[in-house]
Amino acid sequence: MLDLEFLSQVLAVTTVVTPLMLVGVLGIASLFSRRLSERVTSRLTQFVGATGIVASVVILVLMLITGSRHNHVTLGNWVILNDPSLHFHFTFKIIFDRLSVPFAILIFVLCEVIATFARHYLHRETGFHRFFLLFSIFQAGMILTAVAGTVEMLFAGWEMVGLSSALLVAYFQNRAAPVRNGLRVWIVYRFADAAFLLAAIMLHHLSGGGDFDVLTGVTNLQTWPEGVVEITETGTAILVGYLLLIAAAGKSALVPFSGWLPRAMEGPTPSSAIFYGALSVHLGAYLLLRVSPVLVVSPWLWGAVIALGLATAMFAAITARVQTDIKSALSFAALTQIGLIVTEIGLGAAIGGRIGQLIWYFALSHIIGHACLRTLQFIRAPSLLKDYGQLENATGSRLLHRPILFTSSLPGPLQVRLYRFALERGHLDTLLTRFFVTPFLKLFRGCDRIERAWANLLQGGVPDSPHHSEPSHQQSESRT
Amino acid sequence: MVDFSRSEGGDSQSGSTSHGDGDLLSIIQHAVHLLPSQGPISVFVHHNTLHAFQHLPFFTALRRGVEVYGCEPFLSEEAFHHKLADGRIRLEDIEQVLSEELGAHGEDKIAGLTTRFKLRLTMAKDPLYLGSGEELEWQIAETQILKKMRSEVSGATRKGMVESTRHWALRQRIPVETTISEEPSATGIDLAPFLQELSFGASESAMDRWTEHRWEEFCLTALWKVCVAGAKRNRRERTESARLMRPCDILKQVAGEDVDRLVNELLIPFTAAFLDQGLSQWSLPGRDLGFYEAFLLHASQTGFLAERWFHDGNVHVRRLQAENVSALDLIHELLPKLGIAPEETEEFLTQTLLSLRGWAGMIWQTETQASRIARPSPQGTLVGFLAVKLLLECHALTYVAKEAGVWTGSLADIRKLPASPQPLPYELTAMQCASVVFQMAQLLGWSPETLYHLPRRDWRALLAEIESFSNFERRRLLQLAYERRYRNQALDAFTAHARKPHVAATPVRAQVITCIDDREESLRRHIEEVAPDVETWGAPGFFSVAMYYKGVADALETPLCPGNVRPRHWVHEEVANGFESSDQLRRKARKVVGKLSRHLHLESRSMTRGAILATFLGPFASVPLISRILFPLQTARVSEVARKLMEVPSATQLRLERATPEPGNEPGQIGFSPQEMAGIIEKVLRDTGLTSNFASLVLLIGHGSSSQNNPHESAYNCGACAGSRGGPNARAFAQMANDPRIRKLLADQGIVIPESTWFVGGYHNTCNDEIEFFDVDKLSEPVRKSFFSLKEKLDEALAWNALERCRKFESAPLTLTPEEAIRQVKIRSEDLSQARPEFNHATNAICYVGRRERTRSLFLDRRAFLQSYDPEQDTPDASILLRVLQAATPVAAGISLEYYFSCVDPAGYGCGNKLPHNVVSLLGVMEGAQSDLRTGLSSQMVEIHEPIRILFVVETTPELMTSIMDRDTNIRELIQNEWVQLALLDPNSSQLHLYQAGAFVPYRPESSQLPVAGSSYEWFRGWRGDMGFASVLASEPKTFRKTSRSKEVF
Repeated sequence: MLDLEFLSQVLAVTTVVTPLMLVGVLGIASLFSRRLSERVTSRLTQFVGATGIVASVVILVLMLITGSRHNHVTLGNWVILNDPSLHFHFTFKIIFDRLSVPFAILIFVLCEVIATFARHYLHRETGFHRFFLLFSIFQAGMILTAVAGTVEMLFAGWEMVGLSSALLVAYFQNRAAPVRNGLRVWIVYRFADAAFLLAAIMLHHLSGGGDFDVLTGVTNLQTWPEGVVEITETGTAILVGYLLLIAAAGKSALVPFSGWLPRAMEGPTPSSAIFYGALSVHLGAYLLLRVSPVLVVSPWLWGAVIALGLATAMFAAITARVQTDIKSALSFAALTQIGLIVTEIGLGAAIGGRIGQLIWYFALSHIIGHACLRTLQFIRAPSLLKDYGQLENATGSRLLHRPILFTSSLPGPLQVRLYRFALERGHLDTLLTRFFVTPFLKLFRGCDRIERAWANLLQGGVPDSPHHSEPSHQQSESRT
Repeated sequence: MVDFSRSEGGDSQSGSTSHGDGDLLSIIQHAVHLLPSQGPISVFVHHNTLHAFQHLPFFTALRRGVEVYGCEPFLSEEAFHHKLADGRIRLEDIEQVLSEELGAHGEDKIAGLTTRFKLRLTMAKDPLYLGSGEELEWQIAETQILKKMRSEVSGATRKGMVESTRHWALRQRIPVETTISEEPSATGIDLAPFLQELSFGASESAMDRWTEHRWEEFCLTALWKVCVAGAKRNRRERTESARLMRPCDILKQVAGEDVDRLVNELLIPFTAAFLDQGLSQWSLPGRDLGFYEAFLLHASQTGFLAERWFHDGNVHVRRLQAENVSALDLIHELLPKLGIAPEETEEFLTQTLLSLRGWAGMIWQTETQASRIARPSPQGTLVGFLAVKLLLECHALTYVAKEAGVWTGSLADIRKLPASPQPLPYELTAMQCASVVFQMAQLLGWSPETLYHLPRRDWRALLAEIESFSNFERRRLLQLAYERRYRNQALDAFTAHARKPHVAATPVRAQVITCIDDREESLRRHIEEVAPDVETWGAPGFFSVAMYYKGVADALETPLCPGNVRPRHWVHEEVANGFESSDQLRRKARKVVGKLSRHLHLESRSMTRGAILATFLGPFASVPLISRILFPLQTARVSEVARKLMEVPSATQLRLERATPEPGNEPGQIGFSPQEMAGIIEKVLRDTGLTSNFASLVLLIGHGSSSQNNPHESAYNCGACAGSRGGPNARAFAQMANDPRIRKLLADQGIVIPESTWFVGGYHNTCNDEIEFFDVDKLSEPVRKSFFSLKEKLDEALAWNALERCRKFESAPLTLTPEEAIRQVKIRSEDLSQARPEFNHATNAICYVGRRERTRSLFLDRRAFLQSYDPEQDTPDASILLRVLQAATPVAAGISLEYYFSCVDPAGYGCGNKLPHNVVSLLGVMEGAQSDLRTGLSSQMVEIHEPIRILFVVETTPELMTSIMDRDTNIRELIQNEWVQLALLDPNSSQLHLYQAGAFVPYRPESSQLPVAGSSYEWFRGWRGDMGFASVLASEPKTFRKTSRSKEVF
């Protein structure tokens, strides 16, 4: 038994370390301008993916054999502050439990498939190596997020995913639109990350460390999702919950951040498929599942989760129907399901108990099924015309628009209004710009002016800052 | 924000200057010609990208292309220099082309320094480094250009220049009372302080100790400064560009804000929704009202939530609705508001349309080509689009100008903002001129002293000469040299090959007629190699059977004929007698499965059903996901078996003959009359010259292509079938030609087909190299046997053909065997991740019209369209040749020119990289999330193409060709304006005539050597790059026995 445990610990470390090593190899090669051949690059990536699949499947089997439900590997305490007023510690900890094992297997399988796909698809591209480097960062970030045992590790993985996503959106860097949209994705991610970081700090204050098992009340007997949170400071817990919800909303493109999702379709098809159809867009939901026992704490918390999920699902369902390009249609279809998944997580927390846990399991399988389905649809997106032709032949007639019952029963002006709302994607970007970005910029430009005035008063003649003098937000955007 | 109410009186009363409705409409109509004329992407017809300028000479049209579209006219100079280094262009080609161009003017002295010929040659053959201002500064500061002479400079020149400069500098150190009053230099340099400054005030003794390198640096620095001073002082001032700037362009420059982008973010989704052919599930409400009216309907609802810049749009729009302002009225109203004078209207509207030309062009296509589109647009859509675009532009301009704080006055005055107009392309700045002189001085050995003393007049002449030989002109010269190189190689090969005529085998085992397509060239060659007793022929792949065709399993009719022909006949495929009941079952099964997959498709995108699907069926999606990507071929086989269960029974027949006098689409009217059929057969047989000596088997092979995940799949199909698959045409032809009644009619016309001869139709999939034959079960016994033994040979030829194709795929090893090659191409055709399923027409360069005997066994590297034509059977006035060329020229020239333009500017004329393509409205592709609709070919399709104008080689005499050009304007236009090159092969000798500057001049071969290879494989193996011409012995029946080679490699 001990040997099996040791084996599963080794495998657990392997799942995390091999993707990181791949990042190192590809990154260092690029750093020193040593071009690896296409073949070597893709074979290495495929090898790491295959290793990951084998390792995580074996872990699953071992867990089934040993009946262990919670397998964690601690790689030492790196910082311990014993001062009782600070009581801070920082641990590297990998958790393999009923949440992370299926998710890790999903990540490796999809990454392997997409790596194989990209090997042919990006053949002879000038950015071939860049793609695979970013892809390896993404893969490492995903797996780190999936098996993170502490909020710090999760944050590290989360950041790797964010960075590689934004850079892959901007993959075709010689055109303006991908770069602009990549930046937009990056800005939303940063905002979500800021919320996450605040949550992490508060978590430390709350429980003295970033460990999820402490936070979510997981012990060796009660593993996810059975953990029971014992927090005395409910108010802080709610705040942490809200911050994590914002972080999840940014990453999973929930309302009101949904505007970036269709804009992220600038990259090559395989990256659109895996990022926005399958993996990274589910990361927010995964985070909520990871901290799901916290959500139970207050109706304010699970209520907000349900509301956000439902709002997103309904918004995306309406919007998906009017999209005229296949990638946008698929991305809003994906968003509909993510909204539902988030709703399920909230419902699980609302109901609680065995049934609540079952709902969480359902949400997890929803994530997995949805990721597989959507990846397939995304990578087949360019086949659309052929598929339509075949469907037409099979059904023997032209495929025309299907009237949708509830919209066609609406009165005319309302129909037009709803259609326009959907066509302009809920005006979410406009709303964000108007009520968030513009006031934000105004505030800080005001601060800048005050500071400048002060400095002028004190030392005289401070030149105008070149970056802060634009009168409109759009200009600062276009400058990039 | 801004007053958009109708101004009182103002514009409408200035009647004499403003345009009437009719004027405005004709202006728009005129602008429309410049829009891309590509239709829906599922029916891809290759055509000349610059069709709008086809009435102009080729190079003039290229210049217009630069001005109108801002696209590149040629490959980059860098690319040409690579070709020069690789030997694809030789120095002597450039010299020849240049001396032909310049004639006697080549010897003109330029500034007393060199001849025009020499100057131009040097400028063209050696790379000129011409950075922008900053780049040049950086080069001077950070690179060796002022320290070391260019590497091309010979040792002697270098030494001479350095020595003379040294002498010059040292001489000037000792001042003398000169007797001759020296004229001040045209460079305006005062010599003494200049040299002092250059040597940093070094003393004589110090300068004495200077090394060779130091002197070289001194020489180059002096040279550079003299060049800069000379160029700045003596260059004639540039004329300002007259190109109109739209207010959007001005604001982009002044405020740094892209107004077009704001407008497009609203306009593109709306346009896509309007044009949508069924991708979205909810159709645009109010679409039936028309584009403009539907937009008003939607915009009038906008309010609080709208984009900031269109915030007050609904007020404006409601006024338009209330006052019943039509689209044309609105354009009339907005033009003066935007400050556009009546005489600028045409230019302005053209540019407005061109700024979103993909979508604008598609609107025009859906409006005018209604019969080819499922959901056409009503008339006036483009005018509506233009009105809406201008309306949005007005709002966005007003908002942006105000927000950016650059302008708050009336909209019209935005045009008065100080913006520098776009520089004319290929104009040099003074510094760039200096840089050219600097480089030429090194290459041609002009010392700083010479240039210093150069009189003003000479400086001006030199600079004028340099500026007149602009980047465009240099590349034009290189293009001509590039074309000359290939043309001469080709014509040499034709001459040498035509000297040893092919001796036909007797008896002929079979005749194979394929499409003229360049991809069939290699297949025909390999067929002839594996079976030297087979003859091959070429005819446009619709085999003159122009029809609307509906297969048993098809929902809709497809026109199978060239894009410019409108079929008058309908043909249906039917299930053979006795199979109806099983067909009904299968049809039902197909319908059920089709409906099911459509539901899955749609419901996976909906909410609740999507959730159920995703959770319960989602995990199963991983099965096709993994298998299709990791094992494409095996997956394809499995799904093939599954499909077979529901597939149409193989026993089908074509309903070809009609009873009623008039053709049509009603039950009795389907098909052709016997006379029409006989006419079709006779036309093809007479065109190709196959009128006697019929073999017992005549195979007709149409072609098409199948690939996965490829929105441009249709572009890979038969060009003569307007982007569809030509199998049914071959089948119909064979069925007609086998009909004894038709044969009787033919016999009356003098074409006697023996009773023992059988025609069999087939379909060649050029992507996976499979041939499927139709109606084989109808063959009688002896023919059947010889058919199957021939089919074995064909399969062998297909494998060799696949191998020859594979040598051009970088991801396929060069060491493949034919079997592995077949496997390789089959995977390509089934692989979802394959961006290059085949290379289509890439590298096409020749179109040969003449007898196959004269090209048989000539290795043409899949670069030639081959049309069979026998000049000896033609009428004295070449009426057959006329109609042959009328069919072949537009197809071949269209393909060649589309490839040319997409290749020289893949992002401008082509549709860019295919990886971010996103299918929109089922009509075309966008790049990424949102962009203009992209037309043309993708960079993956053209990456191995060599952009040269296609060389027509026609077997006829100059007199007959001239008369044909007189009779057909389209052919004349293409040839006279040099959109294609033309050479004539004399029917009775190996003499060629080349069409040059309006006349046919005899071609003198450069070389009479033609390499000889045992077989094609012996020639092409082990090499990816382009292959020269060679004579292949294997296809000569008497000289070589095929079997030895086959055994060795198979």
